[in-house]
Amino acid sequence: MQPRGQPPFAPQPGPARPYAAPWALLLLQLLLTLRGAAVPLQDPAVPLQGPRGTDSPAAPSWAMLQQAARVALHFFNFHSGSPSELQVLANVQTGGWQVDPQRGYHINLVFSTESYHLQDGKPRLGKCFARVFFQNQKPRPAITMTCTGLSEKNRTLQEDHLLYEQLKQMKDALTVGGIPDDYGYIDPSVRPIWDLAILGSSYVMWERTTQFSYYYPLQLSRVKQWKTSDHAIDFDYTVLLHEFPTQEIIPCHIHLIWYPGKPLKVKYRCEEIQTPVEASSGTEEGSAVAATEFSNF
Amino acid sequence: MKPLLGTLYLLGMLVPRGLGYDRSLVQHKNQVVDKTRSLWKNLETYSYNKYHPMEEIYLWMSQISEKHAEVVTQHLLGMTFEKRPMYYLKISQPSDNPKKIIWMDCGIHAREWIAPAFCQWFVKEILQNYKDNPRINRFLRNLDFYVLPVLNIDGYIYSWTTDRLWRKSRSSHNNGTCFGSDLNRNFNVSWCSIGASKNCQDLTFCGTEPVSEPETKAVSSFVESKKEDILCFLTIHSYGQLILTPYGYTKNKPSNHEELIQVGQKAANALKAKHGTNYRVGSSADILYPTSGSSRDWARDIGIPYSYTFELRDNGTEGFLLHETQIQPTCEEAMEAVLSILDDVYAKYWLSNTATKVTSTTVLLNLLWLFTSLL
Repeated sequence: MQPRGQPPFAPQPGPARPYAAPWALLLLQLLLTLRGAAVPLQDPAVPLQGPRGTDSPAAPSWAMLQQAARVALHFFNFHSGSPSELQVLANVQTGGWQVDPQRGYHINLVFSTESYHLQDGKPRLGKCFARVFFQNQKPRPAITMTCTGLSEKNRTLQEDHLLYEQLKQMKDALTVGGIPDDYGYIDPSVRPIWDLAILGSSYVMWERTTQFSYYYPLQLSRVKQWKTSDHAIDFDYTVLLHEFPTQEIIPCHIHLIWYPGKPLKVKYRCEEIQTPVEASSGTEEGSAVAATEFSNF
Repeated sequence: MKPLLGTLYLLGMLVPRGLGYDRSLVQHKNQVVDKTRSLWKNLETYSYNKYHPMEEIYLWMSQISEKHAEVVTQHLLGMTFEKRPMYYLKISQPSDNPKKIIWMDCGIHAREWIAPAFCQWFVKEILQNYKDNPRINRFLRNLDFYVLPVLNIDGYIYSWTTDRLWRKSRSSHNNGTCFGSDLNRNFNVSWCSIGASKNCQDLTFCGTEPVSEPETKAVSSFVESKKEDILCFLTIHSYGQLILTPYGYTKNKPSNHEELIQVGQKAANALKAKHGTNYRVGSSADILYPTSGSSRDWARDIGIPYSYTFELRDNGTEGFLLHETQIQPTCEEAMEAVLSILDDVYAKYWLSNTATKVTSTTVLLNLLWLFTSLL
């Protein structure tokens, strides 16, 4: 991804340099001496405040709002079913919450987005309105949201079809491993595979996110199966997810079936961290278990 | 001296203790690395826009201290678990006046490759500009820079040879079944109380006791011995685009919290002015997640006033696997942030005294002129 620049801030003015008439000079210097010649510092950033919920204590923290925005985008990306229309978080603009100590946190927020893919050299800017409900300690928050400023549907479908044709041409996808490579490089010829891998990962990351844990996809480490036809891309792969706050790298084996304009079908199994005494077998346990979900099957 | 150090280093590389990884894989990877990335023999052609393996960083350190011998010296801080030397560079302009110290370390977590890249960038910038750039020149009048380009050398090497996403050190536990401590959970500050694990398999394993790791010990002992003179402790990480202030182990704030936030925010603004990148400023417990035993918190608690963690680019799109084309812009903007902090530190300790003197003198002169002109 190329970094995108924004117009730089105007430079901050330094302390006034007196060069007026000696009288004024003298007065100014007297004033300065009396005030003390401290270097003026920037005002601290105003912490993000949002509208308060009816039963809530202080406003939600910036970290909590980031959490909600991130998972809302995973949800959005999965549901869009479009590797061309993947969105990333730009900024949270406002947010508020209602806390139900028994059940969890309802967070409503407005945030800006950028398209993962550049259009005419720049990311497309969007805006989302979301309501995220984190049930106490449980993953897979309930989300309702709408986004504006996205590419119009026909264009997205066209892009997806183009991508589909590119993907159909890929015969040696099975040999692919380590995207990006150790130096962060993604060969343009395999970029479409990475996009599709992210799309599938979005489902997994949404399902695993709780109010405390969150994820980023780091690397497509292995392609196990790659079948293309006129009806679907059948893609079985392993992606490495970076888990916060544990810092663990979670390998998730994802099997997806994709066709432009159709809802994405995803099945997955993530390897869980084992305790040191028992032998590691790579099978999952606990509540974050393999979801078997084929939507519309 | 150098041949001896070189031999020690080579021994350290060739005789790792019971690591249990696949040697043939290591050798293969080493060959691949050599083919694509060696042939650099000369400081003039060293690329600061590429990630460098440890052997190249060692060579760079000795070459740069040789080339700039008038201001740079290389020192041994201690040895890693696998018996590799930990070197830091001291950048100091010879002078009669006593100096205060700015400490910067990079690469406490192995996979955060952009961090050592930044330390190298920083050194390069200071050395290329200290003669002609008045801002940097004045820093060196009263400040010495101590830069540790790679703190977790064993882990860094492991991330090059075996596991790109390795984080911890490479110390051996449980009879060689479990490797590495999270060096940034191993410092002696509220050790292992929160946000860290006692399980050696976990990536936030805090070690067997506070400062159990030789790398932590090397840094702690040294920084402790110089703490009266250290004004600024900067520890560089990735990713997240954050400037973090103490603490991670509690939501309570240090006595100079307001000032740390102000200075940090000014640094973030200076950073943003460069390429438009947003960095968030706040205490670790407030904007990230609880952690204990971090070097930044420890440094603050032994009395170092300005203690910051930098989490460099990016925001999760590439994460640790930050593409090399991002090295330059990341380092350029981070440099602005660090210089901004140094401006504030410098102003606080040297400028106000001098400014008062200048102002008073000028006032006096003007008064004298006034009186003489009235006579």
